[in-house]
Amino acid sequence: MAKREIPEINAGSMADIAFLLLIFFLVTTTMDKDQAYVRSIPKRVEVTTPPVDVEQRDILAIRANSKNELMVRKELMSNADDISERVVEFYTFNELKNDVASNFPLYSRISLLEIEGRIKSASADAEATEATPGASQDIIDFKYTILKEWENKKRALQLYGKPELPEISSQAHVRIEVQKGTEYSLFAKIQSELEEAIFVLRDKAAKEAFGESYGTIKSRYAVDKKKDSKMDKEKLDLLKILYPDKFIEVTPKK
Amino acid sequence: MSKFKKDGKKGAPGVNTSSLPDIVFMLLFFFMVATTSKESDPTVKVVQPEGLRTTDMTPYKQRSEIDFLYLGKPLNPARAAKYKERGMEFLLFMDNVAQSNPDDLYNVNSIRRWKLDKFESKPARMSEPIESVITCVKADQGTPSGMVFDIRKELQDIDALTIAYAVRDNGNI
Repeated sequence: MAKREIPEINAGSMADIAFLLLIFFLVTTTMDKDQAYVRSIPKRVEVTTPPVDVEQRDILAIRANSKNELMVRKELMSNADDISERVVEFYTFNELKNDVASNFPLYSRISLLEIEGRIKSASADAEATEATPGASQDIIDFKYTILKEWENKKRALQLYGKPELPEISSQAHVRIEVQKGTEYSLFAKIQSELEEAIFVLRDKAAKEAFGESYGTIKSRYAVDKKKDSKMDKEKLDLLKILYPDKFIEVTPKK
Repeated sequence: MSKFKKDGKKGAPGVNTSSLPDIVFMLLFFFMVATTSKESDPTVKVVQPEGLRTTDMTPYKQRSEIDFLYLGKPLNPARAAKYKERGMEFLLFMDNVAQSNPDDLYNVNSIRRWKLDKFESKPARMSEPIESVITCVKADQGTPSGMVFDIRKELQDIDALTIAYAVRDNGNI
């Protein structure tokens, strides 16, 4: 019998098949990145006690009305691009020297020795609360959160490498007060300016303390969360303690 | 006699296309890796406002830890006219909703059900607590902020406590 040759498979249409697949993926997928500002919503609580009064100096209110007019600290503002400068001023005005006459939040400085004292008293307090019969779990958890905060501060100061840790008043915050009719673009602009201000502040501190930009640390941590070879989490924690991003979005009433 | 004489008879040789599939497959794989699959197309028109220093949502998308809401004017002119009569110029569109009643899609009150449904339909192995599942609001730049806050209120009521305000970032990509 004559040896029959095995016929070769015609691969000429392979390109067509691949093109078809390619076009399918081109159509069903999207390239544009979704960029957004992530914010947390405060947990809903039943309030029985009246809220604590906050000093005027600790509030930076950014208001926008339904005609899209802006007001920062009771002062009309025509150019929304200036908000970030006002926020930076709010954070840094009393940073080096407390000026009690000014209308800006005050800073406190705390040394490592004082923090250690606070840790001791906080842990004693937490243990005492836990041992008290009938203490609710919420209160015990709360005491332990305080203890944890002080421990975080201790680590932050050790990383900072300075004798004292400057801290802005714990009540200092930025309020965004918009009305129902305010355009979303203005609301987003305010968010953008706040983010910009925080970035500027933390970037400066990061360059002074670690010789790196804030953006570098942040993106490196985002990529390498598990290994975290350069202690980026602690660096970010320190920057967060130095310039906390406390933004309150007030639900509009009209 | 010239050394470079032209041979009129020969045509251009055929290009070898045997490596064409390889090239196309390479392109295909590039697109498969570099893109994420599209969520359902919104039926409202969203032109996002611009902003700086944003957070990239892609890692959350790849882990399906994010749900999208759209706010804008309806694309369909008939629908736009119908709702405008009722004083609703801007409408809500929720991602991946398969409900028979189209009016359900645009009801702010149904956010609760939508979010909880989506949360429960996720496989147990990626059970992030509902507080940290991001709800991303993609709103048109002209949307009244009151609508965004209505959504925020609904989310607060079901303890879905992470919200993201989407913008277009032309600065750092």
